[in-house]
Amino acid sequence: MKSFQRISYPYILWMTLMIVAPMLLIVLYAFTTQGNDVTTFRFTLENFARFFQDAVFLDVLKRSLIIAVATTVICVLLGYPIAYVIAQHNPKNQMRLVLMVTLPTWINMLVRTYAWMGILQDDGIINSFFSLVGLGPVKLLHTTFAVILGMVYNFIPFMILQIHTSLTKMDQSLLEAAEDLGANRVESFLRVTLPLSLPGVISGITLVFLPAVSSFFIPKLLGGGQYVLIGNVIETQFLTSGDWNFGSAISLIMAVIIILSMYLAKKVDRSPESLGGGSKG
Amino acid sequence: MKKLIQFKHIVKEFDGKLVLKGIDLDIYENEFVTLLGPSGCGKTTLLRILGGFLTPSEGQVIFDGEDIKNLPPYKREVNTVFQKYALFPHMNVYQNIAFGLKIKKEPKDIIEQKVMRMLKLVNLEDYAERNVTELSGGQQQRIAIARALVNEPSVLLLDEPLGALDLKLRKEMQRELKKIQQEVGITFIYVTHDQEEALTMSDKIVVMKDGEIQQVGTPTDIYNEPVNRYVANFIGESNIVDGMMLGDKEVVFEDKKFDCVDVGFEPRQKVDVVIRPEDLDIVPREEGKLKGVVKSVVFKGVHYEMMVETRKGTSITVKMKVSEDRPVFNEAANEKISANDFYLDVEDVAELDEATIVARADAQAWNPDTDEFVSIKEIVYSIEPKIGKYPVTFTTKAGTSITVNMIVKEQNRVTSREYNEEIYAMNFFKKADEIHESMALETDLKTWANASAWSLEDESEVEITSVQYDFDPETVTTGLYDVTFATEGYEYKVVSTDLYHEGDEVGLTFAPEDIHIMEKEG
Repeated sequence: MKSFQRISYPYILWMTLMIVAPMLLIVLYAFTTQGNDVTTFRFTLENFARFFQDAVFLDVLKRSLIIAVATTVICVLLGYPIAYVIAQHNPKNQMRLVLMVTLPTWINMLVRTYAWMGILQDDGIINSFFSLVGLGPVKLLHTTFAVILGMVYNFIPFMILQIHTSLTKMDQSLLEAAEDLGANRVESFLRVTLPLSLPGVISGITLVFLPAVSSFFIPKLLGGGQYVLIGNVIETQFLTSGDWNFGSAISLIMAVIIILSMYLAKKVDRSPESLGGGSKG
Repeated sequence: MKKLIQFKHIVKEFDGKLVLKGIDLDIYENEFVTLLGPSGCGKTTLLRILGGFLTPSEGQVIFDGEDIKNLPPYKREVNTVFQKYALFPHMNVYQNIAFGLKIKKEPKDIIEQKVMRMLKLVNLEDYAERNVTELSGGQQQRIAIARALVNEPSVLLLDEPLGALDLKLRKEMQRELKKIQQEVGITFIYVTHDQEEALTMSDKIVVMKDGEIQQVGTPTDIYNEPVNRYVANFIGESNIVDGMMLGDKEVVFEDKKFDCVDVGFEPRQKVDVVIRPEDLDIVPREEGKLKGVVKSVVFKGVHYEMMVETRKGTSITVKMKVSEDRPVFNEAANEKISANDFYLDVEDVAELDEATIVARADAQAWNPDTDEFVSIKEIVYSIEPKIGKYPVTFTTKAGTSITVNMIVKEQNRVTSREYNEEIYAMNFFKKADEIHESMALETDLKTWANASAWSLEDESEVEITSVQYDFDPETVTTGLYDVTFATEGYEYKVVSTDLYHEGDEVGLTFAPEDIHIMEKEG
């Protein structure tokens, strides 16, 4: 076993260099401001104060969270039935269907988002069709609808995969038992399948919510220049304004929000047993 | 008693394979019925058809006068205890048991009363709040039973419910299940492959094989009056010998005439005769209806289980010639070479090749200092498929050589008309060393003598169960010895509390009613 441990050293080194060090740098940047001299740091909470005191930034944060939550909810509502239907097929067909779900992710996300721009723009496919039936061009691109559509499109495979896995892992005899005890299809779904697939839903939520809340190119491309989400703010700080310290502070705030939401998700995940633990009938 | 369930010509096909081939079976109220058979006999399929999880390809399932073939499981008045319990892992014990009642929307206080009563019935009153995943296998089993029974079904289906439990727990649960069934007074349909389980618990046993019912009856019926060899072998242990009916109440086996109590067979009809081990008594040889020798004794706790051989099988005796090892020594090359004469069948000459010759002659060459083997480069022989002696010469690269004889003989075989089988073996040469060094002498003797036996009916192999020889393998020296190979003869398993020893000559006796006659299968 010792010899195998040694094999992991390069990876540990790599992880330290590429993950832990940058994280520490972000923390360092967030709590400092640039001094006159490059080597001197001044520790400060200014960056955080600036964020929380500016109503514009708080608005952006609120909007980002709302969009991410909306995306996640839509992914659950759309993804669950799809995953459920896939899980009803025989294993061979299940493999094919799962492949179809994941197929788009083989193509670069940016390319796919550009494709949506073409579809949604004023002289795009949809509006061309509308004009054929005599409806005036509807503004689709650069709307909240477009942003959420783009996010759902990009992130829903993660939700479907997670739910599908938890559904296929479920012991089928539990459903037979439920039916045997008098539950019809709907009842046995609500009382057995759904609660037992919750862990998959939770991890699906995590996998969709995280990228949705921090995504910046989808709002940029599909929302247009004026549609700013928190990811765009961070991007601007780093790339345009050059204020790395403020950018790092916002990143850190997002990280804390994400860690909190993951913690909550974990708690819900573990609760299926505790949910009704005490109740009698 | 009232007829509750009727299976009418149930056929079930999976992917073109017939799993049930027309099952007709009636089940009454308050019966403990066991479907017994090996895995793959269709017993679980039949149970699942009754539970509603499978639809039969043909036939009717009449429940209380109605055909329920197409009714979904949740509309049936039966409940199932699943093989692996299938308890809901996200619910505690109480919620699991209350599941069916909640679905039926019974009032809370009634649910609580019923669940508590069930927990009491299965002796787990204090476990209501426990998580089912924390329970032992036996406890989970009881919860599964409680969860099914709380719905007050008129039939409880149990699919090998004790399969996953250890022996002691299984015995305990068997008693408990029977007690519960008598207490609640409903029909239990129990699927198992364990014949003992079936005998201890059932009111009625249904023995199944390959999708067909072999026999239906009470445990005593099935045990004492099996309808065929399959049932007799599956239920308990039995001695089954070939026999022939002379007429009513007269049967011949082992060339002797015996009284029995069976009637209704044709004169001269070939039959299987069953005698259970516990129905045979060992008596002094001269008082025995059958005479034999004790072949083996096994202590079983309360009693001894003995095999008594009443008649030897087909046997053949061959000569083993033990010769001294006289290798040829080539001083110039510092090599030794040895080989021995061997016998060959006339019929085997055509298929003879060099590898066989080396093996049969045990030809080998080696360096006497290092004991390393030297390969044999050349084998010179000429042989004809005629009786006679043919020399063969083995030579190494360095020119060390030895010549031995291949002795071609007629086939040596013994045919038994009685058992309808043949046994074959050949005389052989061996060196004393090889016998001393043999790890499994009986197997080696069979190989050396090329001994084999086969049935004359279908050429299938018959096992040679006995190898006897008149030498002491530890101290054997040069000389001529007898080796006898034999197949199994008539053997009877006998249980007795008196101890007899291997080799004792004894008599066996039995009463006419201890013999049970069955028609031959197929």
